[in-house]
Amino acid sequence: MFRVLVTKELKAILLSPRFVGTFMVGAVLILLSVYVGIQEYRAAVDHAQTSQLLSDQGLQEATSWMSASTRAYRAPDPMTIFVSGLAFDIGRWTPISTRTGVRLRHSLYSDEPMYAVFRFVDFSLIVVVVMSLFALLFTYDAVSGEREDGTLKLVFSHPVSRAHYLLAKASGAWLGLAAALAVPTALAVLMVVVYGIPLGWQDWLRLTLLLGLAALFCGSFVMIGLLLSACTRHSSVSFLTGLMVWVALTLIVPRIGVLTAGQLTNVPTVAEIQGQREAFARDQWDKFMRDGIGRWQGNTDSLGEEALLARIQTEDSLRRQVETNISDYETRQYADLRRKSERRERLALSLARLSPVSAFQIGAMTLAGTDLDMKPRFESAMDAYRAQFTDYVGQRQSESPGAGGMRIEFNSETGMKISNPRDAGALDISGLPKYVSPRFDLAPAVGSLALDFGVLALGLLGCLFGAVMLFSRYDVR
Amino acid sequence: MTDSPYLEAVALSKRYEDGVLALDRVSFGVRPGQIYAMLGANGAGKTTTINIFLNLIDPSEGEARIGGIVTHREPLEAKAHVAYVSENVMLYGNFTAMQNLEFFARLSGKHHYSRDDYHDILRRVGLSDDVHYKKVRGFSKGMRQKCGIAIAILKDAPAILLDEPTSGLDPKAGWEFCRLLESLRQEGKAILMSTHDIFRAKEIADTIAIMKEGRLVMEQPAGELAHLDLEKLYMEYMAGHNGPMPAEA
Amino acid sequence: MLGTLILKEVRDIFGSTKFVISFSVCAVLILLAFFTGAQNYQAARRQYEAAKAENLRQCDGLTDWLMLRQNRIFLPPEPVAAIVTGVSNDIGRTVEVTGRGELSAEDSRFEGEPLFAVFRFLDLEFVFGVVLSLLAILLGYDAICGEKERGTLRLVFSHAVPRATYICGKLIGSLAALVPALIVPILIGCLVLVLMGIPVDVNGWFRLALAIGTGLLYFMVMLVLSIMVSAMTHRSSSAFLAMLVVWVMSVFVVPRAAVLLAGRAVVVPSVDELSSKKAALNSQLWTQGRQAISRWTPEKTGGDMEGMMKQFQDMMEKQADERDRKMQELAGQLNEDRANRQRVQQRWAFAAARLSPLASFSLAVTSLAGTDLNMNDRFAAEAAQYQGDYAKFMKAKTGMVPGRGMIIMKGDAGGGAKPKPVDPKELPEFQHRPIALAGAVETAIPSIGLLIVWGLGAFITAFWSFLRYDLR
Repeated sequence: MFRVLVTKELKAILLSPRFVGTFMVGAVLILLSVYVGIQEYRAAVDHAQTSQLLSDQGLQEATSWMSASTRAYRAPDPMTIFVSGLAFDIGRWTPISTRTGVRLRHSLYSDEPMYAVFRFVDFSLIVVVVMSLFALLFTYDAVSGEREDGTLKLVFSHPVSRAHYLLAKASGAWLGLAAALAVPTALAVLMVVVYGIPLGWQDWLRLTLLLGLAALFCGSFVMIGLLLSACTRHSSVSFLTGLMVWVALTLIVPRIGVLTAGQLTNVPTVAEIQGQREAFARDQWDKFMRDGIGRWQGNTDSLGEEALLARIQTEDSLRRQVETNISDYETRQYADLRRKSERRERLALSLARLSPVSAFQIGAMTLAGTDLDMKPRFESAMDAYRAQFTDYVGQRQSESPGAGGMRIEFNSETGMKISNPRDAGALDISGLPKYVSPRFDLAPAVGSLALDFGVLALGLLGCLFGAVMLFSRYDVR
Repeated sequence: MTDSPYLEAVALSKRYEDGVLALDRVSFGVRPGQIYAMLGANGAGKTTTINIFLNLIDPSEGEARIGGIVTHREPLEAKAHVAYVSENVMLYGNFTAMQNLEFFARLSGKHHYSRDDYHDILRRVGLSDDVHYKKVRGFSKGMRQKCGIAIAILKDAPAILLDEPTSGLDPKAGWEFCRLLESLRQEGKAILMSTHDIFRAKEIADTIAIMKEGRLVMEQPAGELAHLDLEKLYMEYMAGHNGPMPAEA
Repeated sequence: MLGTLILKEVRDIFGSTKFVISFSVCAVLILLAFFTGAQNYQAARRQYEAAKAENLRQCDGLTDWLMLRQNRIFLPPEPVAAIVTGVSNDIGRTVEVTGRGELSAEDSRFEGEPLFAVFRFLDLEFVFGVVLSLLAILLGYDAICGEKERGTLRLVFSHAVPRATYICGKLIGSLAALVPALIVPILIGCLVLVLMGIPVDVNGWFRLALAIGTGLLYFMVMLVLSIMVSAMTHRSSSAFLAMLVVWVMSVFVVPRAAVLLAGRAVVVPSVDELSSKKAALNSQLWTQGRQAISRWTPEKTGGDMEGMMKQFQDMMEKQADERDRKMQELAGQLNEDRANRQRVQQRWAFAAARLSPLASFSLAVTSLAGTDLNMNDRFAAEAAQYQGDYAKFMKAKTGMVPGRGMIIMKGDAGGGAKPKPVDPKELPEFQHRPIALAGAVETAIPSIGLLIVWGLGAFITAFWSFLRYDLR
């Protein structure tokens, strides 16, 4: 019996213009989005590599280890082909030097604002906008439309259980949608392989999970359509409500969630933080200078060679102390900022997850590693690298001390003195630790992913249950 | 009853794009004060004839005339002289009966009607005052048919086209409808009506015609036919029996 | 006759549940867009003031302007930009000004607060571009074919109604009903701005009004477009499906794909490539400079500290000017090349994107709000001008323009009068002018023109299709 019903549903859907429309639009869009994603990914990889190379060359030209600085570039992840997430909003590189802290800057959108005008098209956008809409279109008139046509009455003049009937509707629509999307998705994945995008086993796992999440997401919209259809008597009404619900869930709830969280919580901006850091650094340096003048007062000529060297070394270590203080302060500040913004993010995302659209989007971004954790993840890896870099540079510097820059002193007693700069040419950076972008690790994301899967599954089951309950009391006349 | 026909079909033919011949040289005339009933199965060409009179489609050959005006040459002029009631009168569901009437009266170029006139006409077609200001969306089919005939009366055209107006009406509503038609006949309207309903056709029509596969296979004054004869004739034509084939009028 | 038809259309729309529900949703969204825009503006204004105050605070206690190390300027928020955000959240808003060399803007809003980048903001451009266009489709898709399905079209055309009059009545009536209806929540939204004390000046109001006008024009285009599709189909479900595909394509696909494909087709050297070339030259020039400094000796050292300092500063200044000149030469060349290529890229991208009415609308409305791509260039130009002023100021105050890479520390070697602290108020203030009305309109005109062409084209096609529409 159930099978008969499902087969009938599938047939009805496969032969409808909706299916043809979905299939055509879905195929064009999915292939286009993945193609564009592949192009962007390859460009980003090229770009990151060249830039890293150029930055290393620049490092060689530094005059001393003290002034040595380089950049660490964020390596693109192949999963961004499917879910670009925040990849273009977050800075692409950070300066690495002993003086300044790690902070990703120069996002693609800020460097190339042309791309920010209309933003990006990717697989997740297609799923969120197009697939959800088609899922609703598949089911909005499942019950009310059949009632209007009078077929509902005819069906229930036969011994058919209402729950079976509804389940058949749901599975038919879902299978139909899946059928429309399976082929283009498979082609898109094939395209990724053909273009030689390197995918490890973990990437395949992530991709599979992403497709599973997309299927679950489409399923929940199928159920929402069914629920609405079982609530209403006329298909025109269920159509209208469906569309409004779609607008609300897709376009409004996520934004309102974030905006509300933004209103409820207060997080200092980077500019404020930087200002505070500047103030602290200035105090520290001022103190250092004041003390320094005290230390250097008096006639330095009378000092012996060795004493002078010792003094320079003391000076250097004091300077390093100041640098450490400042960077510690900065680290503390950023840790505080991070804590605050994490709290806000948690609130915002929980509110946004009221809509399955956000649950899908967040889940997809988590899987692709382009979620809100992306920035801290890269920044902490870069921080770790900076520590290595600082250590190495410190070590090398102690081998060949000197500030590298020039030191020009005017003294009313001794006149002008130009300290001989050490202009030794290129630095030997062969021993410098190389920055390696962190590989995406699925393990820490499991919790958040489980939540997204859970929200979607719960929504799906809830809607299905609601639809079955409502339909059991539906007036089929 | 002796004037020249007001509604006139002259060798009317219609072949659709898909090659189906829907009308095959049909000719007839309806004089003022006459009710002309076209009987026939679904697809016999009744609605096509009416569509041509309303210029919703152009004839392939021949012409339809309303008061001497050829419908596909001067459709607007022709349509000003004819009112139409469809099988299933559909009105603007968001409007009340009064608003619908007002709109269609204005479309007919009748701007002089007052509110009371609308009430009078609605009462005349049998709609009680309590529904005049109700939205048409909730109306039953009978109520909508009544609105339809009210719109036709408002138009005050010399000819009326009715496309199966009584199908789906309960006997009482059907009877009331026939009384209305009779009163319109009294006013001297030329009425062309297509119908399945042999009984009603016999009851009120002056002339009865039977259509089959796009051709007019029989046309006789109703007075000359006994009720039983008509039913027998109809069944014979429909069954495709080679019954008596009267010459085409 | 036309009047009757228009009146009927207006009444029919206002009486429908479809209108009531969808219009309420849109009205709420419009109000929300104004409200969140105002709130965002206030928040951004607070942040801006805080950042500016922080920048001035570093002057506290300084006794010499030379010791001012990081003078930053910030792009102030603008009320109209908060309502039509455009790229304003994507471009860097902070520039460190040293007096010399190239400037680069950093810290875009979305970089700082990626949370808001996840789902973006709810601004007027979004509400009009995405939601209201959907409303237009919803209200227009069954204008003709729906009447046919419901059977009213037959009844209407049993009367002496010319087709041309009918379709004109339909189009004009729909526009006449919906456009004024939308103006109401918009006006309330403007009132919200006033009540929340958002300082919108005359120029701002004009630009906002024009932006809203463009939004309404876009809404009309989408409405006429869906009536057109409605006049070409016989079943409202297929009309809706067709319009939905058009909507998805026009809103989500064509503009984005156009920009991305054009971005790949026209190669533009990246900022990083440029900056590494510049850095290479810079370090070469510094090396040369350092050698020159080592060779330098003051002309006469009569123990005159001030004179010696002066000589040294002059020499440094000359060297820095020379370095600047060379750097500017290279940078100018590289930047111009990049800008030229970018222009070609943008021309292609936007030409292709304008196939979608949404793209035309977006480009027009962001131009009017001053949040289009030129926003970046305008800010850069203003920052460069400020840098000039700042350099002059520093020169006047200290006799030299320090530039980057030089740390100047003055110690009081003992005795003497305590130097007076500097007055932070003397520091030149960064002036940001909102885009002039004329300039904004000029940039927006082609897009608006295109929208009008779209609208007229759809109007004529709808008209022409309906003349041949099968009314049965």
